[in-house]
Amino acid sequence: MNNSRSIKAVEWLKSSGGITVTCTILVALAVSIHKGPYVLVNTLVTGGMWALMAIGVSLLFGVMNISNFAHGEYFMIGSLTAYYIMHPLKEYLLETPNSFLAFITPVLGIAGATLAGVIAGILTDKLIFAQLRKRNREGWLLNCFLITIGLSIILINLHMLIFGNTFKGVVNYWDVPSLALGDVYVSVDRVVVFFIAMLAILFFWYLMMYTTLGKKIRAVAQDENGARMVGIPVNRVYSTTFALACGFAALAGGSLLFMFPSYPTVGIAPLYNSWFIIILVGFGNVAGAVPGGFMIALFQVVTRTYMGEGWENVIPMFLISAILIFKPYGIFETKVRSVWEQ
Amino acid sequence: MTQSTNENHTGLSGLLNKICLSPLGLLGIVFLFFLPLVPPFNQDYMIRWLISGAIVAAAAISFDFSAGYLGIVNFGYAAFLGLGGYTSAILSNTLGISPFITIFFGALMAATLGVLTGIVSLRLRGMFAICFTWFIGIALMGLCMKWDWLTRGPLGLQCTPFFESNSSLPNYYLILAIMLLTYLALGLMIKSNYGLAFRAIGQNMEAAMTSGVHPTKYRVINFTLSCFFAGLIGGFYAHYYGILTPELMHTQKTVEVLVIAYIGGRLSLWGGIVAAFPFIFAMELLRSSLSDLPGINLIIYGVFLIAIMVYYPGGVAFFFKNLTSRKIRRKEMQQASIAQ
Amino acid sequence: MLLKVKNLNAGYGFLNVLWDVSLNIGKGEFVALIGPNGAGKSTVMKSISGLLPPKSGTITFDGQVINNQDCAVNCRSGLSYISEELNLFTGMTILENLEMGAQMLEDKNKARENLDFVFELFPRLEERISQYAGTLSGGERKMLAIARGLMSNPTMVLVDEPSLGLAPQVTDEVFNALRLLNRQGLTILLVEQNVTKTLKFSSRAYILEKGKVVLEGPSSELITNDHVRKIYLGT
Repeated sequence: MNNSRSIKAVEWLKSSGGITVTCTILVALAVSIHKGPYVLVNTLVTGGMWALMAIGVSLLFGVMNISNFAHGEYFMIGSLTAYYIMHPLKEYLLETPNSFLAFITPVLGIAGATLAGVIAGILTDKLIFAQLRKRNREGWLLNCFLITIGLSIILINLHMLIFGNTFKGVVNYWDVPSLALGDVYVSVDRVVVFFIAMLAILFFWYLMMYTTLGKKIRAVAQDENGARMVGIPVNRVYSTTFALACGFAALAGGSLLFMFPSYPTVGIAPLYNSWFIIILVGFGNVAGAVPGGFMIALFQVVTRTYMGEGWENVIPMFLISAILIFKPYGIFETKVRSVWEQ
Repeated sequence: MTQSTNENHTGLSGLLNKICLSPLGLLGIVFLFFLPLVPPFNQDYMIRWLISGAIVAAAAISFDFSAGYLGIVNFGYAAFLGLGGYTSAILSNTLGISPFITIFFGALMAATLGVLTGIVSLRLRGMFAICFTWFIGIALMGLCMKWDWLTRGPLGLQCTPFFESNSSLPNYYLILAIMLLTYLALGLMIKSNYGLAFRAIGQNMEAAMTSGVHPTKYRVINFTLSCFFAGLIGGFYAHYYGILTPELMHTQKTVEVLVIAYIGGRLSLWGGIVAAFPFIFAMELLRSSLSDLPGINLIIYGVFLIAIMVYYPGGVAFFFKNLTSRKIRRKEMQQASIAQ
Repeated sequence: MLLKVKNLNAGYGFLNVLWDVSLNIGKGEFVALIGPNGAGKSTVMKSISGLLPPKSGTITFDGQVINNQDCAVNCRSGLSYISEELNLFTGMTILENLEMGAQMLEDKNKARENLDFVFELFPRLEERISQYAGTLSGGERKMLAIARGLMSNPTMVLVDEPSLGLAPQVTDEVFNALRLLNRQGLTILLVEQNVTKTLKFSSRAYILEKGKVVLEGPSSELITNDHVRKIYLGT
């Protein structure tokens, strides 16, 4: 028993997924030794959030066959909401210090951001995709792709029109001294954000595997007509899915406000990243998005550290294109593919 | 009875039909030719708007050539525009050749990348192909940003203009010619057996393969041609505006072209032209009259795209086709009643 | 009458498949709908179930017009549809599939009772309770689909081609289960190509040809009808 398990483990290590994961860990260690552990910290903080974004995109595609190119805009909505909750509260705190309020401010901001994302997601589904579902399902994939592009333009420009083309960010969440891990200092914000991401992923996993709602979502994803035949209210499940995916994106946006101040096109980079991840781990592989998120984050951090600002979108792009050509199923050889080719 | 309703291939309309034009189309071209000479449109800023319209129209034609017929949405289209523009500008700047010649080198450069992309992305379909071309576009734009020794990056590259004169009119006729060239070349391609093959591959690749259409060849040809004209249009863009920044390669530019192509309608090259002029003109008008509301025109862009996709996915071309087919049906019914 | 279909016209796109089809099914009946390939049998089922909105005509179930009602709503009001394609959730286990079948029941005890009932009906499903539906054999899939359709306590089931692609023994198993269910009071509308067997099991039958009902009557009479004997039974 034990023996066969170890054989399986060795086999997995030899597969492309295993090799990549191992290499990623080795690279992470090497870079941390060479350039200091901050590389690792940055990777962990952003990687978890990119994974959340990718889970959302993957989910939307898996359940509704929508390839969402506006997912970054929900990130933007999240960061914007978080800013408009945190910034006034922080101003107020400057005048009247209140330790409880200071503690609760970022929590409120992030929670508000998530809520805004959920609401935006439901609205998107009800106002646009429900209409399209009702009217025609021909050429669904391409129509949805174009609609999300339109949505992205609208949201970006609405932000610019209403809130202006400025950087809206907060410097830090909690005014507390950094945590010391040996001789490395890590700000509390980063630690908390990392744990938020992990908690959200755990929550998502539990939801999908063990709750009736999750099972319904999976049922709709696997066979929409079958789901209707057993009486699952498909439209409501679709709205929920949208709410979940957009909520995650907005959560990521709100949590990363201290690293990515809100401005109209702040969502572009997270959008790129989530698509990188999806292609890296294979289309439709929701579970693979988690290691994928950390890999992409590491890769970008390393490129930025060694090659300078601006290259972090160019070099990964070539890598991802190569993966797309040589390993179109992704490094984990996901087999959910056919719909993407329509 | 149905035979009598078929298009008759005699006389002028038959001749025009051979080069993918209809009497109405010819009228449209004549109209576009004289438009900048008529009073409200002969002001320079109006001509500039018309030029913007013509650029997008030409781009939409060559975009639809691969997106509509082959079903491969080239989401990095703007990068091919930019590649053509940069090649042409750098060549004319360093070698001192006239831009009239270098834009063809730019087009060839874009076509070369098109061949490469076409060959490399052969195994990819649908979303995979979209992502691949998108990433190529982003990577190219990133390169243009970073290689500032060559492209001067975000500072912008100066390009020699086509004409010495201050008027935009010659430029307008030049882009009109480029647009017509694009339309006629690609239209003839569509009318030939190649067009049939493109459509077959676009609708069902497996079925096309089993009936003997080799997708490799046709996909590469299609992609190359589309990119060639993208490069040509990009070259015009560079020398017309006189300054080139990597912004041209941004996905947003692709989206602009894509919106027009889809409002015009898939599977119709001329739909892009019909949609582009009024639409771009209206956008420019909106932008200049509502200058205190930046981006309002882009919001309208987005709303239009969504509305078209949800309520009328066939676009303008579908509307016209519907109109004519309804007319034909009415005629048929009349004839049937007469026969009775 | 539990289900009443009057002058149903339905089809796909511009193409009409059904022409003025009328059916009447009383409570507790076991009615069969037979006909050659392409006659529109499955289209009738899809229209009744709500997957395919009819072009005209009325469908009344339990006194209510259900013409443009969504399939999910019909399922809630007691009309269960077991399709030809089965529409199983292939990435979920047998148990999860059955749970989904009962997800609309408020009473969880009732759901457990139903689970016991379908396991009694198809013991083979209980043996493979945690196997993924996608890995089952054709017969097992069919059983699972029928079991899933029964989990929601329906008053009537529409069963589309349960014998398609099954070995004769398995077909018998499925048919026996259907007869048992009918004896317990379940109304069944069955679409089948296996005419001999269907007429033996059902109480009444409709014969559909080219989208029109050409014959109807008690199964025992139809089995001796000349037209039926010539075309379907080959004697």
